[in-house]
Amino acid sequence: MLELKDVYAEVEGEGIEILKGVSLTINKGEIHAIMGPNGSGKSTLAKVVSGHPEYEVTQGDILFNGESILELDPDERAHAGIFLAFQYPVEVPGVTNTTLLRESYNTIAASRGREELDPLEFDDYIREKLDLVEMNPDFLERSVNTGFSGGEKKRNEIFQMAVLQPSLALLDETDSGLDIDALRVVSEGINKLHTSEDAVILITHYQRLLNYIVPDFVHVMRDGRIVKTGGKELALELEEKGYDWLDSQTTVNGEVK
Amino acid sequence: MTLNKQIELSVLHNLAAAETAPEERWADIRKESRSALSQTAFPHRKIEEWRFTDLRPITRTEFVPLENAGAFPVSGAETYFIPESEGSRLVFVNGRYQEELSSTGPLGKGVIFGNLAEYEDNPVVQEYLNKLLNYEEDVFSLYNGALLNDGAFIHLEKNAKAEAPIQVLHLYTDSAKPFVATPRLLVVAEEESDLTIVEDHVGLGNNVYMTLPVSEVKVKEGAHIHHVRLQRDSEEAVHVSRPIAYVEKNSEYHAYTITLGARLSRNEPRVVQEDEEVDFTLDGLVLIDGNQIADTHSVMDHRFAHGQSHQLHKVVVNGNAHSIFNGKIFVRKDAQKIDSFQENRNLLLSYEGLVNTKPQLEIFADDVLCSHGATIGQLDPEEVFYLQSRGMTEEKAKEVLTYAFALETIENVKIESVHKLLIEEVNRYTRANSIQKETV
Repeated sequence: MLELKDVYAEVEGEGIEILKGVSLTINKGEIHAIMGPNGSGKSTLAKVVSGHPEYEVTQGDILFNGESILELDPDERAHAGIFLAFQYPVEVPGVTNTTLLRESYNTIAASRGREELDPLEFDDYIREKLDLVEMNPDFLERSVNTGFSGGEKKRNEIFQMAVLQPSLALLDETDSGLDIDALRVVSEGINKLHTSEDAVILITHYQRLLNYIVPDFVHVMRDGRIVKTGGKELALELEEKGYDWLDSQTTVNGEVK
Repeated sequence: MTLNKQIELSVLHNLAAAETAPEERWADIRKESRSALSQTAFPHRKIEEWRFTDLRPITRTEFVPLENAGAFPVSGAETYFIPESEGSRLVFVNGRYQEELSSTGPLGKGVIFGNLAEYEDNPVVQEYLNKLLNYEEDVFSLYNGALLNDGAFIHLEKNAKAEAPIQVLHLYTDSAKPFVATPRLLVVAEEESDLTIVEDHVGLGNNVYMTLPVSEVKVKEGAHIHHVRLQRDSEEAVHVSRPIAYVEKNSEYHAYTITLGARLSRNEPRVVQEDEEVDFTLDGLVLIDGNQIADTHSVMDHRFAHGQSHQLHKVVVNGNAHSIFNGKIFVRKDAQKIDSFQENRNLLLSYEGLVNTKPQLEIFADDVLCSHGATIGQLDPEEVFYLQSRGMTEEKAKEVLTYAFALETIENVKIESVHKLLIEEVNRYTRANSIQKETV
């Protein structure tokens, strides 16, 4: 579904290289966790895949369903089925959640050959999705993320994901800032949404999220590269030994060098 | 440049110096204003209050009296009537009252409104007309006085509640030569009365004209006034307005000014506190493009203790347009416990647009809460990306964000049709701008 081929990326116009040759293959039905210390390039990876204009891919390629997406704008990538749950969801005062979601749903539906929904049908549709993240219906008529607590913003991201039904979801530190109850709700939501037809990439610092969402693969990033790949037990090992433990290991993109 | 040279330079001074109105009515006000004008210079950019404002749209135009302008007849006036004001509508064309277009049914006990000329002998008019004006060294309010011939009058007796908003609709037609209109609005709200006014200036064509509206508003003890001022003059017009309000004990005055039209506009709203426990608002929304210049110089004068005031002035600039804001907040020595909020936020959509902003607080009391701020910025790329990642095109995302930026200032306009109209105007502006692709 998603294939990164030796991707190098830098901050547009500043020449600061952040991704230094990332290769990664994700098939449908899989859940991948990407872990690593601050500044290792995890969030950049998510932004590069979703097309953030701040980053430029200088080398390599990103294929989605077999086709390069490097030339696609972020909205075109969303139409293709890519979704990014933001680490810091943006407040958009004046635009209600319902307005944003109906606009998004219908543009994405149109480009993916799904039926568009009129306001009444849409209302029914989103209300059932609300339950999934245990969100109060009042949130629908509030301005997007405006005045939301950190936890509410994260829930709202997962709610948007539930409504938009992407085939690839990138969740950028969705667990940070959540208390234990919210973490459970959000994780259960993600688990319920996940099917054999879609894929999830979890970007996280901590192993605790992986107690709720069990990944098929765990990748560890350091300094713009994937330095180790393993199964879910790798996360536990990292939790126990810390990232420094990896300094004694030398593997790049999962291959022993 | 000497004072006399300055005065000679202004065609308007000559225009105002000639007695054009044959009526006896208000001859004294006209004479008094002419006399003051002869001692008042036309402004120029060396004066601090005018340093950012390009007045050439005024100085380079040969304005003539309306009678000599060859104004075209009005058509399509009803398009601008708001349904809430059927029965409470005063219509002016090129500054002159139009009885056949107006609609003046009963509006509740003690609510008097109509053509100012018809109330010439009304004691309230006698007491207040031209007496509430207080603009120092200001030629524009003097022009209005020197050319005074028509206006709207609203008087609410004690405890009177206007059952519907009063629409004061000014329509301006195209004409063979550019003319000057000098409409006047006098509002006196007695104790515990309640009124909503929708003042609307509409250019029906795209010619040059100049309108110099003056409004004098007296809000007596416990009275409430909600004043919506909508400026959609023609794209070549000049609009210079002088709205002043005096607020007495326990009264409220809330003004919302929406500036969309005119080649050059200069709006100088003032609110003067006359007693304790008042609450007033001077909010503004400016959406400009092309070569438009929109200038707001406001004064909020806190003279007594326990006042609350609010000014949110939002501006969107595109093309080569130029916005100027100077918001003066005075808090006098005895005006303790004042809570005053001022914020000027500017959104620049083009590289060529220009914004000058100058919040100006002069506080002489020591126990007050005054917050103020001014920002000039572009759309936040992070917000644009967020919406794009949810499937919106870049243009749509920018349109939505511009709309959202502007919306905050019109939320408090409670008249349903006007609120809807404003949303349509904001939408039209943002859509026109996303098509231009000039955006940053």
